[in-house]
Amino acid sequence: MLDLIFLVIMIGVGYFAGTRVEKKHYKSIEEREAKFIYLPAVSSKNLLEDRPIDSTLLVQGNAVIATDYFKVILAGLRNLLGGEVSAYESLLDRARREAVLRLKESAQGADIILNLRIETCQISTAGSTEALAYGTAVYYKK
Amino acid sequence: MKFTPRQIKGNVNISPVSPVKDFFELVLRILGLILAAYILLGLAVDYIAPRVSIKTERKLGRLFSAGLKKGEPSGLEARLQRILDELLEKGRELPPFTYKVYVEGSKKINAFALPGGNIVVFSALLKKADSENELAMVLAHELGHFYHRDHLRGLGRGLIFLLISSVLFGGDSSANNLIHNALTSAQMSFSRSQERAADLYALDLLNKTYGGVAGAVDFFEKMSFKEKCWPVFYVFSSHPYPQSRVAALKEAIKIKGYPVGQKRPNIISEDAIQETKEKDI
Ligand SMILES: [Zn+2]
Repeated sequence: MLDLIFLVIMIGVGYFAGTRVEKKHYKSIEEREAKFIYLPAVSSKNLLEDRPIDSTLLVQGNAVIATDYFKVILAGLRNLLGGEVSAYESLLDRARREAVLRLKESAQGADIILNLRIETCQISTAGSTEALAYGTAVYYKK
Repeated sequence: MKFTPRQIKGNVNISPVSPVKDFFELVLRILGLILAAYILLGLAVDYIAPRVSIKTERKLGRLFSAGLKKGEPSGLEARLQRILDELLEKGRELPPFTYKVYVEGSKKINAFALPGGNIVVFSALLKKADSENELAMVLAHELGHFYHRDHLRGLGRGLIFLLISSVLFGGDSSANNLIHNALTSAQMSFSRSQERAADLYALDLLNKTYGGVAGAVDFFEKMSFKEKCWPVFYVFSSHPYPQSRVAALKEAIKIKGYPVGQKRPNIISEDAIQETKEKDI
């Protein structure tokens, strides 16, 4: 019985803390995406404009997002029955977008980021997600 | 080609489902499945229980008697064993187990049988009995459970629960330990009809062994008095309904016309008080 109460508390804390953190993170992501809208990051390997290049630079952004206990339990239940694990979707989405934002932050003054690639992996059995975004920052001749 | 960056409206990568609703929906569905499995497996257990071989039950017995102390029986246990052996001589068609009595120091008034032939009697019960016949009745009642192979039924479903929980939460989870502890402390509850059947068997065995049924209802009568004092008491016991059991026993005695016979004094109760003074928890 005590175990069950403990479980319910863990799930409750996980839910409220997790939701709060997630809301805050999405707010920050959206603000910074608007701020960096001037710097395109595309998956194309080739230049989109025919302009002389000053320099190029490999840039990368890396983000690790932890899960919360509510999501772990929700995903665990989903694992029993099958179907979409919607609990983890926002984790991946946040990790991916945060990684791209950090990549853009590290490419100060660039005109475009080409060949954008994103990779993801699980970082611990507890369910933290890592996303790594890397690409080539291109600086045009001014 | 000119690239014009834009912000994407909305987010297709996140399912538009409420996680809380999702959670409760999943919990309900899984509980439903477990319930269905529990009912189905319960039916299977009822079918399988009478068909389990003696060998398998003996194996099960070893699993559940692991917690019992090993070594020489105490003086108290030896005396109880003598009463039990006397009953066993007359016990008809009991499964061929090695029947052994264990005494455990406890303030709870209870006795229970573990699969495989072991009977555990709590010391408080020994103190409560005024005649040997009462103790024999309790032991014979437990033998009745063996005769009807009740524990396989009682344990069977518990065992299936144990299996389900090991599949869901892994082998050494807290849920698993919880169920296992519940099983090993043998608070398995038999159905009312199983208790009645064990009582009737015990009555018959008592009559055969002692040449009468004196003392058969004494113990339950004492317990039913207890029930009036603390109504909660029997909710937690594995042997409920003493009042109705007394009535059913008296009726059976009348119908079958059992002789009353002689009561033998309880030589155990004084020893029990002596011996369990140190053991009592
Ligand atoms: Zn019983």
